[in-house]
Amino acid sequence: MRDTTAVLGYAWPLVVSPGESVSFHLSSPGLTQAQAKIVRVRCADPDPDGPGLKLETPGTPIDGPVALKDQPIHPGAAAIIADVPALSPASFSAGCFIWPTAPLGREQSILARWRADLGQGWRLGLDEDGHLVFEVAGADGGLTLRVARPAIEREWLFVAASYEAASGVVTLTQRSLDPQGGRDTSGHVVGHGPKTVAWPRDTALVFAAQAREAGSDPLTEAHYDGKIDRPRLFSTALAEEELRRACETLAPLPSDPRLVGAWDFSREMAGDAIRDVSTNRLDGRLRNMPMRAMTGANWDGSVVQWRERPELYGAIHFHSDDMADCGWEQGPQFTVPADWRSGFYALRLTAREGSEDPVESYVSFFVRAPLGQAKSKLALVASTATYQAYANSALRLDQVHAEAMLEGVIALSRDDAYLQEHRELGLSTYDTHSDGSGWCYSTAKRPILNMRPLGNTFNYVNDTHIIDWLEELSFDYDVITDCDIDRHGAQLLKAYDCVITPSHPEYYSLNMIEAFDAYQRGGGRHVYLGGNGFYWRIAWHPTNPHEMEIRRGMSGLRTWEGEAGENGLSFTGEPSGLWRTHGRPPQRLVGVGFDAQVFTRSYPYEWLEDARDPRVAWLVEGVDLAQPLGDFGLRGGGAAGLEVDRVEPALGTPPHTLRLATADQLDYGGVPTLEELRTLHRGVMGDQNALVRADLAFFPTAAGGAVFSTGSIAWACALTCYRYENSVSRVTENVLRRFLDPAPFEGFDD
Amino acid sequence: MLVNYPDAAHWPVDPTRRDLVEEMRARPRGPHSHDLQRLLHRMRWTGVGKRYVLITLEPGRRWMLARLPGRRGVPIETFPNRVFTSLAEAEWAVFAMRWEALTGQELD
Repeated sequence: MRDTTAVLGYAWPLVVSPGESVSFHLSSPGLTQAQAKIVRVRCADPDPDGPGLKLETPGTPIDGPVALKDQPIHPGAAAIIADVPALSPASFSAGCFIWPTAPLGREQSILARWRADLGQGWRLGLDEDGHLVFEVAGADGGLTLRVARPAIEREWLFVAASYEAASGVVTLTQRSLDPQGGRDTSGHVVGHGPKTVAWPRDTALVFAAQAREAGSDPLTEAHYDGKIDRPRLFSTALAEEELRRACETLAPLPSDPRLVGAWDFSREMAGDAIRDVSTNRLDGRLRNMPMRAMTGANWDGSVVQWRERPELYGAIHFHSDDMADCGWEQGPQFTVPADWRSGFYALRLTAREGSEDPVESYVSFFVRAPLGQAKSKLALVASTATYQAYANSALRLDQVHAEAMLEGVIALSRDDAYLQEHRELGLSTYDTHSDGSGWCYSTAKRPILNMRPLGNTFNYVNDTHIIDWLEELSFDYDVITDCDIDRHGAQLLKAYDCVITPSHPEYYSLNMIEAFDAYQRGGGRHVYLGGNGFYWRIAWHPTNPHEMEIRRGMSGLRTWEGEAGENGLSFTGEPSGLWRTHGRPPQRLVGVGFDAQVFTRSYPYEWLEDARDPRVAWLVEGVDLAQPLGDFGLRGGGAAGLEVDRVEPALGTPPHTLRLATADQLDYGGVPTLEELRTLHRGVMGDQNALVRADLAFFPTAAGGAVFSTGSIAWACALTCYRYENSVSRVTENVLRRFLDPAPFEGFDD
Repeated sequence: MLVNYPDAAHWPVDPTRRDLVEEMRARPRGPHSHDLQRLLHRMRWTGVGKRYVLITLEPGRRWMLARLPGRRGVPIETFPNRVFTSLAEAEWAVFAMRWEALTGQELD
C-alpha cells in the first residue's frame, strides 16, 4: 500500500507560466529526505481497469534528494491587534455581541489581552460548560467570574466585563437578546480582585482566541467558534448600560477620551484587516480567513444582501478549525523552462522505496499557456475552481447522507484516512466546520489531497482521463486555467478555435461565465465533456490568487445550508448560489444543465432522431446509431452517470439545439436535484421521471461558433475504454476535428 | 441550519424478511427490489453499529474493512484480517453485520 501522506506540500503559485518560478512548501513529520522529481501528468488514475498512472518525467535541476522537516499547521481563526500603550489602561471595560456556535466542551476566549504562557492579563470567554467567564490576573494572583447560566448555541448575547484598578472591583454581564421561551441566560456577577494589576507587556489583543506568547504575531489557543459583533474597549469601568449603548451604536464618538477601540467588521469585507474607528486606529489582522459578511445582532431581515446595508453585517464568524495558509517555509524552487508544454504537473516525492510501505506523494501545480502565447488551436480549461471547491473533502467521513447518496459502502483512500485524523489541513466547501457551519472559502496555500495523482477521482483525476485521451489521439492542445479566465476574460479564450471544459466545471464566477458567453458569441467553439457544469456562482478574491468563495444559500444540491441573509459573497458583494437562480442557467450557455445524480451505476445513451440530421453527419461518422452510445466506462459501466444534465428550452436551451442522444432510463438510482422539483409528489426518481436524464447536445452559435455538450461526468472515463477505440471516443474525436475546422456550420439559420 | 439526523431513517426492519437477505446475498450491488432499497436506506442512513467503510489497499482490487469513529480527528478503526477482493463481497459483509445489529440474527 502506497503511503501518499508521509510528506505533504503545496506549490506556490499554483499556476505558473513557462519562464516563471514555482516553489514547493513541504513538510514531513517522519522523513528527513525524499527523492523529488517533476512530472507532467498524463493520467493520474492508478485504477488497473483504466489507462493506469501515466507520468512523463522531463528532467529538471531539482530532480533528486530533497531535505524535509516537520512544519506544524496552526488552524483556527482570530483577529490580532498588536500591542500599543493604549491597550494597557489601569481600569477598563470591554463588551460586544456574540453568537456562540459550539459553546460546550472546551475553554474559548472571545476578547483577550491574555498571555497563556504567564497566566496573566484579562480574558472574556467561555468555560468548558459554556458559561461566560471573565478572568483578571496579574503576577500576584487574580479573579475569575462566571455567569450562572450557560450560553445557548446560536443565540445572540450581549456580553460585557469591567475592571476598576483602584477598588479591584470586577464585573461580568451576559444579556440574552431574545429572553423568552426558555432562551434567557442573562446574568450579572460582581467580585473583588487584586487592585492595580500590572498588565503583561508586549501582549497582543486577540479576538476569538488568546496569545500563547509575547509579540505582535503570537501563536494562539483557546479559539472561539461563533460570531463576534461590534467589540468595544474603554479605559474605564463603564456601567453596563453605557457600554451596551456604545456597542449598539455603529459609530461610538471617537472624541470620547475613554474610548480605546471600537471595531467595525463591516468595513473592507474582502480583506484581512479589521478597522478600529477610534482615534487610536487599533486596526488588526485576521488570521486564517474567518467568515465575513455575516449578519450581526442588529440584522432584522430588512435586507438579505450585505451590500445593501453593510452596517447590519458587522459580525465575523470565527471557527476554531479555519485554515487558509499553512505558512510553511519555502523548499525547492524551480523555474519552468520557457519551451515547456502547458499541462498538469506535479512534484513527485518518493521514499522508502522497496519497502512494504513505499512513500509516493504528489504536490500539484499547473503550467499555463499564458495570455497572448497560445501554442495550439485547442485548449483544455483546468477547473481549478472546482478542484478548490472540493479541496480536502471530508464529506464521506462526516456527513450522514454520504453512503445513502453514493449507493454503497464507502471506499476510502489512504488520503481520506489521513484527513480523518488531520483536520488541520482545512476542509472543502462541501464540508462543515466543527461547529456545523459551512466552509465558504478555499485556498491553495495548504496541501490539497484530492487534486493530485493517486488522489480521489472527483475531479482532478477524472479530468486527466481527457488529457490521456488527447495524448493518445495526438491532439495538439494547450492547458489554460479557469482562474486566469476570471482575470483576463474572453481574450484568453479567443486565442483558441476550440476549448474543452472537462468532466465537472461546476464553479464559475460571473466573469468566467461572461467570458465563455462572449467567446461562443464571437465564433468560439466550446466542447463541454462533463456534467453539472456552470452550476454554482462563486467569486475569486479580487487580489489574492487562488482564493475562492461560495455561499451555498438555500437552493441547489447543497451539503450545507447557509444562514438567512448570508448569501452575499464577502469577496465581491455579489449574491452567490445557483447560476440558475441568477438568470444564467447552464442550459443557456451549453444547452444542457444539471438535473440529477445517479450513483447506482452509469448508463448508455440511446441515439435520437436529431443524430440523423444531415447537418451533423460529421458528428456520427463511423458510429452505429442503432447501437447504444457508451454502454461501457470506468465509472459505473456507462458513459452517462454520476451527475447528469439535460436539455430544457424553458431554462434557455437554444432553439437551434440538436438533442442527439439521451440516457433517460436511469432507474431508481436517478435522483433529481432539488431545484428540479416545484412541488412534492411521488414519482420523481429516474424509474418514473423522464426529466432525470443525460442529454447529448449540439448547437451552433453566432459567427461560426458552436457548442457540444455531453451532460455527464462519467463520459470522460469512458473515452479510454477498449484501447481508446469506442463510440464515445469516436464521437468526441469527430466533434473536436470538426470544431477545429474553421468551416461554418451550415443550414441552421435558413 | 439544516441538519441530517442519523435516526431519521425509520423504515421498520422485519426480521422475518429473509427473502431480502437472500436477495442481497445474490446481488449485493443491485439492482434491488423496492423493499430491499428501503432496508438498505435504513442501514446506510443510520450507519447502524457505527459506520463501516472500506479502505482501498490496492485500487480496484483489494479493500480492507474499517469503521469510522464518529468523531473528527480520531483514527479510523481498521480490521486488517478482513480484506475483500471485490466490492460486492464487501457490500454483502457489511450488510450481514448490520442485519445482525438490527435483528440479532447472525448470517452465515
